[in-house]
Amino acid sequence: MSTLIRAAFSAFRVSMRLRVVSPYAYLNWLVFPLLFTTVGLYVLSRPGAPVSHLAYGVLGGGLIGYWTVAYLDGGNGIQDERWNGTLEQIFAVPTPLVVILFGKVTGSLLFGILSFIPTVALAYFGFHALLPHVDALRFAISLGVLSFSFFAIALTLTPLFALWRWAFQMLNGFELGVYVLCGFMFPVAIIAPWAQGIADTLAPTWAIRAIYAATTTEGAHDYFTWWLAAIALSLGYLVGAYFLYRLVEKHARMSGDLALA
Amino acid sequence: MNRVAAEAAVFARSTYLQYVALFQWATVRGYVAYKILLPVTQILFFVELGVYAAGRQNALYFALGNALQLTANAGIFGVIATVANERQFGTLPILLGSPANRLVTFLSRAIVNVIDGIATVVVGLLVTVVLFGLDLHHGNLPLLGLCVIVMSLTTAGLGLMFGSIGLVTRDAIIIANIVYYVLLIVCGINFPVSRLPGAVQLISYSLPLTRGVQAAREAAEGASLQQVAGLLGGEVLVGLVWAFGGYLLFRVLESYARRGGLQEAY
Repeated sequence: MSTLIRAAFSAFRVSMRLRVVSPYAYLNWLVFPLLFTTVGLYVLSRPGAPVSHLAYGVLGGGLIGYWTVAYLDGGNGIQDERWNGTLEQIFAVPTPLVVILFGKVTGSLLFGILSFIPTVALAYFGFHALLPHVDALRFAISLGVLSFSFFAIALTLTPLFALWRWAFQMLNGFELGVYVLCGFMFPVAIIAPWAQGIADTLAPTWAIRAIYAATTTEGAHDYFTWWLAAIALSLGYLVGAYFLYRLVEKHARMSGDLALA
Repeated sequence: MNRVAAEAAVFARSTYLQYVALFQWATVRGYVAYKILLPVTQILFFVELGVYAAGRQNALYFALGNALQLTANAGIFGVIATVANERQFGTLPILLGSPANRLVTFLSRAIVNVIDGIATVVVGLLVTVVLFGLDLHHGNLPLLGLCVIVMSLTTAGLGLMFGSIGLVTRDAIIIANIVYYVLLIVCGINFPVSRLPGAVQLISYSLPLTRGVQAAREAAEGASLQQVAGLLGGEVLVGLVWAFGGYLLFRVLESYARRGGLQEAY
């Protein structure tokens, strides 16, 4: 067990070092969130806007940055190895692939959560905007649940992106659609009912609902149900991921064509 | 005359080769992802954001603004990626070593993306008409079309400026991402330019799109050419300045890249 932990930590450390020197990492955790926060706050803090809108402006950019790093950086855990020419070595080592990816995805999430620092700072110093009310405990738990859902999604996307490159292209093109469905910058309740049905199948939607509920005294505060929905859906993704990893292993070890995909 | 014909032939050939070799969305999946899904979801996201902030009655303001901003998708991403891809594919040193006229080579990088930018805006406007009920019955459609063409050209001018930086850096696509999203903030796409601080407004009016989007909004409401001539003239001027600046930068950085061997650095 300690060997596996050490291997996961090594993967975490190496991936963090690579991230620190990658300009793309800064684009995702720093630049994009700041740009979206700026647009969000300009639009949401119009004269006469309700105070509850501010929470979406203050936190929305950070959530976008967190998600972007999770799915781009975490989700490309195997793809990166392919580009770097280290895919075969990763499969040849005795450590299970999922342990290495655990370390890498954890690194992505840690990097991604940093997005909240510049966005909250911009909101405060640039727009004098603060969260109107924060229920610290429930906010922290909701953020933890969101992190777990991002972790599960990143771990599921990793084999998916490796097996089918077009899956990454499609998700990348649909990126702003995810912002809509998960309610990063406005409540999902305002979108079309059929789209809300799709949104309900996404774990982050429930966790984000809980996060925003913790910043206001208005509306429903059904935290327990929302956390449970987010965790249950995330576990469902992980079950799917198990089968995808089996498929990846098959392509890498039996047919040997994963590096060519 | 022969020289002009020869340069025109180089221009046509270079444009064609740029399309077949460097137009990165020339696959069905790539086109669907980045030229249909991305524009549609961009419009949806900002319209829903606008609806949440300002009510359903203002949805069209956001829909039209974002549909028009899509010219930058091709003009900025496409043009900058052209140079970036040339470097990635290892053909940049060959291009810089060729005796071809630099101005012709430089401008040919933009043409396919200008056409593509117009196509992307048409997709965006169709989405706006179908999903948000943009009523163009009273709009001046030929003028709106002219505005779209002008904006596609001017954003490509800005793209040429930043594309030149791709001669000396391998991460030009990062610049493309930043420029694209900065335009969303400063060009009056989702809120009026007048809400920005004074210094930022100066930047707004020195960039393409700001005047073009304003002119296009007025054209969609039925304004005549005379009413928006000043805005369109300003838009053209801004685009020309950026393209000319881009050409000068291209020549300077070309020389710099040659001396430092940077065109091969990847």
